[in-house]
Amino acid sequence: MAATLLSKRFTVGDESDAIELAFDKGWSDGLPIVAPTEARVRALLEAAGLAPDHQVAFIRDRAVSVSAEKVAVNAVMAGCRPAYIPVVVAAVEAIGDPRWSYHGPGTSTGGAAVLLIVNGPIARKLDINAGDNLFGPGWRANLTIGRAVRLVMRNVCGSRPGTLDRGTLGHPGRLSYVIAENEAESPWTPLHVERGFRPEQSAVTVVASDGPHQFYNQLSNTAEGVLTTLADDMRISGNVMGQSTYVVVLAGEHMRTIAADGWDKKRIREYLFDHTQNSHAHLRRTGRMAGPPQPGDEQKMRPLVASPNDILVVAAGGRAGAFSCHIPGWGSASSSQPVSKAIKEAT
Amino acid sequence: MMEILDPTTEAATQTIAWAPRPTALEGTRVALIENTKFNSDKLLLRIGELLKTEYGVAECRLYRKHNASVPAHPELIAEIESAADLVVAGIGD
Repeated sequence: MAATLLSKRFTVGDESDAIELAFDKGWSDGLPIVAPTEARVRALLEAAGLAPDHQVAFIRDRAVSVSAEKVAVNAVMAGCRPAYIPVVVAAVEAIGDPRWSYHGPGTSTGGAAVLLIVNGPIARKLDINAGDNLFGPGWRANLTIGRAVRLVMRNVCGSRPGTLDRGTLGHPGRLSYVIAENEAESPWTPLHVERGFRPEQSAVTVVASDGPHQFYNQLSNTAEGVLTTLADDMRISGNVMGQSTYVVVLAGEHMRTIAADGWDKKRIREYLFDHTQNSHAHLRRTGRMAGPPQPGDEQKMRPLVASPNDILVVAAGGRAGAFSCHIPGWGSASSSQPVSKAIKEAT
Repeated sequence: MMEILDPTTEAATQTIAWAPRPTALEGTRVALIENTKFNSDKLLLRIGELLKTEYGVAECRLYRKHNASVPAHPELIAEIESAADLVVAGIGD
């Protein structure tokens, strides 16, 4: 006999009433939800291969245990297909990891979203978009997987605007912010392999992130040319006084130009690290570093991130168009780090 | 008619043992926990001064968290437990 589901139950007239009840109860992110019936929730739990009381994550600083049942209820509401649930579960495991440090990015006035980068065969199997119109809209997997994670944050972890979510501005990525790496066309080592997984494994990497900052370079036909523009855009962005991470997303045209010059991800990271540093004098003059410029400050340089390894390079985006983007992470290296988790499909 | 499941989690009930509250501030030792944000130290030191001059607090000492977005680390809490009677924790946003 299937394990009992412990969630409180509400009786409503029909699907429309369920949508209205979710708004009235504050369960929704502002969009209509799919009614979380027991049959739908059980289908997701079965696809995940998890018992309802399995603890997916424990949010230490909030003393909140996130059960598989609650992840499934919220994933149904988000509109996930059962096949998507392993990605949602892995992402919730990742935001519960102490290195991601939930309470900071889940609460901060900085208004970070959870960027999910999916790698490995599951991305293609679930049709998680890695190409045209990368950040959406248009793909059910991209839009509902991230929405499910955010609904878990809202309904289980207590990250509600105005209470334990104090984002000053937030950004649209907080509705859903999911991409896959374009491994089929990328000339480079996939992100998950760089982070210790095997190529045939599937993994999700979560990064507390600002919105994507697009840049344009249609003139350069060299790696250095394209990356010069990117570095110039990145140099003053995010929290230049103590940035945790950057995600750099290189789309089709730029990806091919950079690869044609023989540059790998490591060289890209090192180039960007070297060319995005600011002088202390500039940071002081522009109100980012406290106090007036001191003697020697023009020559004293401060890097954007602690190490080139804090720049994650991802190949994704449409094949046409001389556009790519960078995404500043949230906070400082000591407050939240990207976390990657294996995506475990039920056998 | 249909039945739907609640997506929220109710907090499990637990009992917390509160530390006894002092009845007066005179002669107490106060820990000021600074969260590393710019000017949070100045704000707390000013509060410390007022506690001493206006309320007769015996001493105020400033402690520093690792960073603003995490709770005070266990070593810091252990130290404060033995060295202070009261804590003022502040944020400098």
